[in-house]
Amino acid sequence: MSLLTDELKSWIGREAHYPAREELGRASIRYFALALGDENPLYVDEAYAKEAGYPSVIAPPTLVCETCQYAHRPPDEEGYIGHEWHLPVAGCRLIRAGNEYEFVRPVLPADRISVTWTLEDIVERSSSRGGTQLFVTSVARYFDAQGSLVATNRETLVYQPL
Amino acid sequence: MIRETKTAAGVSAGEKLPVLEKHFTAVDLVAYGAATWDWHRLHYDVEYARGRKLPGVLVDGQAFGALLARAALEWAGPRAFITKLSFRMKSMAFAGDTLRVEGSVSDVRGNVVVLAQRLLNKDRVTAEATTEVRLPV
Repeated sequence: MSLLTDELKSWIGREAHYPAREELGRASIRYFALALGDENPLYVDEAYAKEAGYPSVIAPPTLVCETCQYAHRPPDEEGYIGHEWHLPVAGCRLIRAGNEYEFVRPVLPADRISVTWTLEDIVERSSSRGGTQLFVTSVARYFDAQGSLVATNRETLVYQPL
Repeated sequence: MIRETKTAAGVSAGEKLPVLEKHFTAVDLVAYGAATWDWHRLHYDVEYARGRKLPGVLVDGQAFGALLARAALEWAGPRAFITKLSFRMKSMAFAGDTLRVEGSVSDVRGNVVVLAQRLLNKDRVTAEATTEVRLPV
């Protein structure tokens, strides 16, 4: 039986938009850097960042691509609060296959970032464990308050039958 | 005084990046989850993780991207800018694991340097990445 049903195919091209709620903020940047043990002064030292040519401290590049900060919904039973398609796929576990980030410019604490997700493609491929699995590719595009693209995150998740 | 930034003229294919090591404790996983608004049980609830047939709480895959970016920028310097970072997962990592980022320059195209990076967990490859870094002219 094919995992990739006609119903599932009809999901390709769907979009979800999460508006900016506030500025990214210096605290978020410092928190992320501290959590990763990243001591780069560009993230916390205003004078250093300005000397390096930036208008203020900047965010570590992948911070804006973190999925959960935008959706603003209560946690589900697994604690997850981020964007999710809720695809009609039963009895599968989800595994990350990889991410492709593209960055246009450094993100600043004053930036108000909104995100638009597009379900780009769903492909069924055979699995090394026998049977098949689904590769779901989604693209998140991050925009600033002027509507200019600042980053793109193409994410592929694998739905693997249990 | 800010650190020096690499220039494309000063970099050539084959140059190795300094190795970056990061040990992930359960505390680090909670800190990363909190800093990224990721409250999924996989990252802190050991019983839940074991119930999913995992040996322990899981390091968020996007932390791999963050670590690869950190290694690239620590090498390149403060005026460098990552234009592209693409990673493919090869295996999972859990609390207690020490991840090692290795990398080398695979190409120089104008003022953009292409890096081949790998994330290793002892001898097992956790992720492989291609990273493009724009350097000042």
